[in-house]
Amino acid sequence: MTSDEALMLEFQGGSRAAFEELFARYRKPLYVFFGRRLNNPERAEDLVQETFLAVIRAASRYEPRALVRTYLCGIALNLLAAERRKFSTSSTLGQSAPEPKTDGTPEYVLWVRQAMEKLDSPHREILMLREYEQLSYSDIAELLRIPVNTVRSRLFRSRLALKSYLESEAKTNPGLRASAWQPHPRRRGMQ
Amino acid sequence: MSTNRHPIEPEELMAYLDGELSADQATEALSHLELCPECQTLAADFRGVSQDLLAWEVESPEVGISSELNAALEEYLQKRQAAKVTSSRLENRVMTSRWVWAGALAIVCVVVGLKLTLTSRNQNEDRSTAYPSMASIEKYLMPDSNAEIALARSAAPEAISSDAKILVLGWRGYETADEGKNGFVCMVERSWMSPFNSAEFWNPKVRAPLCFNPAAAQSILPLTIKRTEMVLAGLSKAQMIDSIKAGFHNKELPAPETGAMCYMMSRAGYLNDALGRHVPHLMFYFPLTDKSSWGADLRDSPVTLNPQFRDGPEPITEFVIPVGKWSDGTVAPAM
Repeated sequence: MTSDEALMLEFQGGSRAAFEELFARYRKPLYVFFGRRLNNPERAEDLVQETFLAVIRAASRYEPRALVRTYLCGIALNLLAAERRKFSTSSTLGQSAPEPKTDGTPEYVLWVRQAMEKLDSPHREILMLREYEQLSYSDIAELLRIPVNTVRSRLFRSRLALKSYLESEAKTNPGLRASAWQPHPRRRGMQ
Repeated sequence: MSTNRHPIEPEELMAYLDGELSADQATEALSHLELCPECQTLAADFRGVSQDLLAWEVESPEVGISSELNAALEEYLQKRQAAKVTSSRLENRVMTSRWVWAGALAIVCVVVGLKLTLTSRNQNEDRSTAYPSMASIEKYLMPDSNAEIALARSAAPEAISSDAKILVLGWRGYETADEGKNGFVCMVERSWMSPFNSAEFWNPKVRAPLCFNPAAAQSILPLTIKRTEMVLAGLSKAQMIDSIKAGFHNKELPAPETGAMCYMMSRAGYLNDALGRHVPHLMFYFPLTDKSSWGADLRDSPVTLNPQFRDGPEPITEFVIPVGKWSDGTVAPAM
């Protein structure tokens, strides 16, 4: 299988097929990346397109210094930050970010989502980058511009905190964990 | 958890589960984890959190390339094409002048020659200074045989490795630490199982845990044993190559049996400086076979040809297929 990095270089050299292959590999992982962080399917779809638009615009300057997966995560995080800034500015003018949609969402998904929302933002992002995007500590450190040791200690604290949140809810509703652990045809993230 | 009682901190245990420790640290963590119920509970907690998090699925629609994206793509590709044409024309223009061409060629020859000389010298220096020869034997041994046993077993899921025969490396070669009962053999290979021309042939940091299935235990394991015996006996690479060729010629070394394969799914191994821990994978052994018969190394094919025996004295072809999980069932990063 051609590596992502080789495809990226082929695309840089002018190969449409290489771009299409990269798009095919990462459209879903990126959608899921934005989907979990925004809870807004329409914006998630737009931001997938914007991520690849940024890839095209920066293609001539691309250097294979990191995995393409990490590179795309970096672009996605920047777009996400811009999106949040936009809504933060808008909210001061009376327009707020859309409420997360919960219609039809299984209870066990809400259980996890709500537990994650209890973590503060920096801890939550590190946990998500590790658990869902499967990035290494050093990749996370580079993307978030913090030391690797900080990544590790925050990850440790967030996992323990999340465990506590999840367990307190699971005690009042024991069926949650059983439902959550049933096999699902799922994937984590940028794999 | 008191650090006085545990050789690893809780954070280090978490880093071990994430595959973030060095090979030595991972081996230490693994061997402690095997024996410490308190750390096993903590590890189970971490794995439980990861398992819970998997419940948060996001259904993804079929996202296609939008018209805006397609337009940007077209624009970029056209620019690239134009740049290539311009570059080609420029080249043609230069070609029209014989004197310019000759001068340029001379300069290119000098520059390339100089660069090749320097690169070659640098590469030779890198290779010769990194692992130029065998280190002292103890550097290849693991002082704690329990740690080596745990590392060997970590090559395959517990359902396989718990009943496997275990070999550990001693001063005189591999020794049996557990007879096992399912026909599999788990062990930790060292750097001398690399290709003979590998720059890391003598890298003492290499710890490559694997579990041979019964067919490979019969037909591939003898090769590991032989190479190891020759290394410990102090043979040169040339002597080893000759001996292996002779071994296959006189049938002392068998051809790979049908179905010979091994598991390499340990998160604690260290394959070499270039790959580090790599990804969990399975390996399949055959008598010399064209890689196209498995579609290896083709675009999008998950099968690759392992260079371990390529161009070596062993008439063996080895294919590698990555798998998505480490032997403990946790998800591994993509290859």
